[in-house]
Order: sequence, then structure tokens, then C-alpha cells
Amino acid sequence: MSPSTETQSDDRFENLRQELRRGSLPLAVLAALRTEHYGYTLRKTLADHGMAIDEGTLYPLLRRLETQGLLVSQWREEERRNKRFYRLSPDGRLILKQLLIEWKSIHTSLEDIF
Amino acid sequence: MALVDRYLHAVKFWLPRNQKDDIIAELSEDLRSQLEEKESELGRKLTDDEVEPILKRCGSPMAVAGRHMPQRSLIGPTLFPIYRVIIRSLILYFLLLLLLLWLGIAIFSPDFRADHPGAALFASLEPWWLACTYSLFFNTPVFGLLDRSQARSHLVNNWNPRALPAERDPNHISRGGTIFELTFIVATMAILVQIDACHRVFHFFGVTATLAPHWPYFIWALIALNGLSIPLACLNLSQPRWTRLSASFRLGLDVYGSGLVYLLCRASLLQSLSGNDVPHTEAARLVNSINCWTASSAIWVVVIGAIVLVFDVRRLLRVAPVSSSTAG
Repeated sequence: MSPSTETQSDDRFENLRQELRRGSLPLAVLAALRTEHYGYTLRKTLADHGMAIDEGTLYPLLRRLETQGLLVSQWREEERRNKRFYRLSPDGRLILKQLLIEWKSIHTSLEDIF
Repeated sequence: MALVDRYLHAVKFWLPRNQKDDIIAELSEDLRSQLEEKESELGRKLTDDEVEPILKRCGSPMAVAGRHMPQRSLIGPTLFPIYRVIIRSLILYFLLLLLLLWLGIAIFSPDFRADHPGAALFASLEPWWLACTYSLFFNTPVFGLLDRSQARSHLVNNWNPRALPAERDPNHISRGGTIFELTFIVATMAILVQIDACHRVFHFFGVTATLAPHWPYFIWALIALNGLSIPLACLNLSQPRWTRLSASFRLGLDVYGSGLVYLLCRASLLQSLSGNDVPHTEAARLVNSINCWTASSAIWVVVIGAIVLVFDVRRLLRVAPVSSSTAG
């Protein structure tokens, strides 16, 4: 395989990998926010679980989930700095439960296909 | 921290006014947490060189701000294919129209030819650029509005599979078209056979036209063209699909026909005109004008012939694909 073909193949894999992970991010964020977090600690928690996410993706996603009523947020001072803490709303808990069922179903289907 | 402040200021510039402070406060808190963590690891303040990669990884200010805004497009993916087809068709239509106009003027106006030699001809493409720009300028907002209205009305979703056009077979030959072609060939053949090939002098409306001595060769060449066209028409009638044989035959006939018509135009076939009421000098001038006009029309034959040949070659490639694409 020539270097350019290898690079192309790597690029294609990277694009598809990101696409796959992007689809799972809302689920990961909702699941992580069963415990209250502010942005930075949420990012660290996700990264510790192998779901690293950059600021530019996380904050717009948090904002969108909050607009949809799945999260609630609160500005609070901690360590002499204002931080915005997020947690799941009751609607968010319900949706998370449904999404987890859906995710397991997808996982089972994929296992069957493989 | 000056770099971080500059970065946050740049991001803030691109954000929607009502969310600016909220987003910047949150992003600022995240960045400062990252920097503090790094500083506590190193046990000292970070230098600008160390802050820079952190900001770069975060993304350009415009990109970061863009991610906080809903994705917007003037023309969405539903209407974009129609928009693309219309714009492309208009561009080609204007180009064809301009080309025909330009050819017409170039052929019939010697002054235009004299004023637009060589590279200056490209300057006459200006109206085409203008027409293309106008069509983009007017069509884009119209499609933008249509896109918004169709998103509300779901117009595009109201469709019926039965109303879709039938698939067209590009290799099918219409029998009606072939019958028309055969009738035309037979009629032309009858006229050509009626004309005595050796007869070069014709009388009509009190005028006598004498054709050039090479006229009979053209008559025989035209008869041969028609004679060769008959078997192809019969073949197409019995087997109404393009095959490698019929497509090659058509290509050969069109090359021959285009060449023949080109030579006919360039041959200065009219030798003289005479009549009781036509003065000799006037007749000579008329003969010269007619011959010049037919000679200048040869360019049309080249253009039309080239277009026909492109279609013929494409047809031949379609019915006889290269062996590598069919193998395996």
C-alpha cells in the first residue's frame, strides 16, 4: 500500500470513527450528568472513561440538551470562581433510560450482524 | 493570561449578542481550569509558548463560535439538486446562445471579424459571464426563499412514485424516428436519381444557373451517402437498439456526411448565372456572393458536425465499453 493510499485510508477511518463517536456523545453526556458536574470536570470524567471531547463540541451540546429540557444548569461559586454546574432534569432521566435501551438494542443488532 | 483574554475576545466577537457573556464565561472557566491544572503540574506559571498549543487545540475563534450557533444553509439539501441543475443548464444555455450569436455575426459581418481578431474574441464572452452572474444572483435568493417555504409546507414530500418519469433506455431506437429517416432517405434518393449527374445547367424563373464541372462528383457522393444510409435504417428498424455494429456504422456515415457537406459548401459550386433581365456584372457579383456565403456557412457544418460526432462517439463507447470495464 502506497503512503498516500495509507493516509487516505487513515483519514477515512478517522472520519468514520469520529462520526460514530459523535452519535454516542449525547448518551455519554447524559449518563455522566446523573452526577452534577461543571464543564471542565465533565470533560475530564468523559476522558477518563475513554470518551474524550473537546470544549468546542461539549459546550454547544450541553447548551442544546439544556434547551431541550434534558439538563438543568446553575451558576455557582466554587474555589473563588463562578462555574456552571449541570445535572440531568427529570425529563433527561426518562430520555436517558430510553436511549440506553435503544443503545443496547443497536449493540445487540450489530453483534448479530457481525 | 493575555493570550487567553485575546482568544476569548476573538471568540466573543463572532457569538450572537444574547449568548455572548454566558458562553464566554463558561469557555473562560474551562480554559483557566486547564491552565491551572497544567501550572500545578509544572509548579510554575505557563509561558505564552505553552498556552498557545492549548488554545490551538481548542480551535479557531470563528470555528468555536460557529459551533455554538445552529447550522444554517441558504439552500438546504432537499432543493440543492434542483438549484444545481437549473444553474448548470442556464450557464450552458447562455454559452450555447452566445456561441450561436457570435458565429452568426462572425459569418455574416466582415466588419465584426475585422474588429475581433484572435484573442480579442474572448472579450466577447463578457455577456456570458454577466448572464451567469445574474442567474446566480437572482436564482440563489429565490431558491433560499423556496427552501424556507418548502420546509414549512413539506411540499417536496408530497410525491407519488407513479408520477415519476419512466426510465429512458439510451440505447433504444425509436421505430417512428427510423421510419421518418427512411422516408427522407428514399425521397432524397429519388430526387438525386432524377437529377442527371452530367447535367450542370439548370433553368428556373427565367434564370439559367450553371454549376461547376465538379458538380457530378458531389451528386454521386450524395447518392452513395443515401445508399449507405438505407441498410442502417433497415437494420435499426429490424433491431431497434444501438449495437456496436450500428453505432459504428452511424459514426462512419456521419463523418462521411459531414465531410461531404463541408466540401459542398467550400466547393464554389455555382459557376455562372444568366438571364434576360440580369446584367452580366450583376450576375457575376451575385454568383460571387452566393459562393462566398456558402463557403462561410461551412463553419456551421463544422460546429454541427462536431456536435453530432461527439454524440456518435459517446453512443459507440456506451454500447462498446472498453474491455477493462467489462472484464471480471
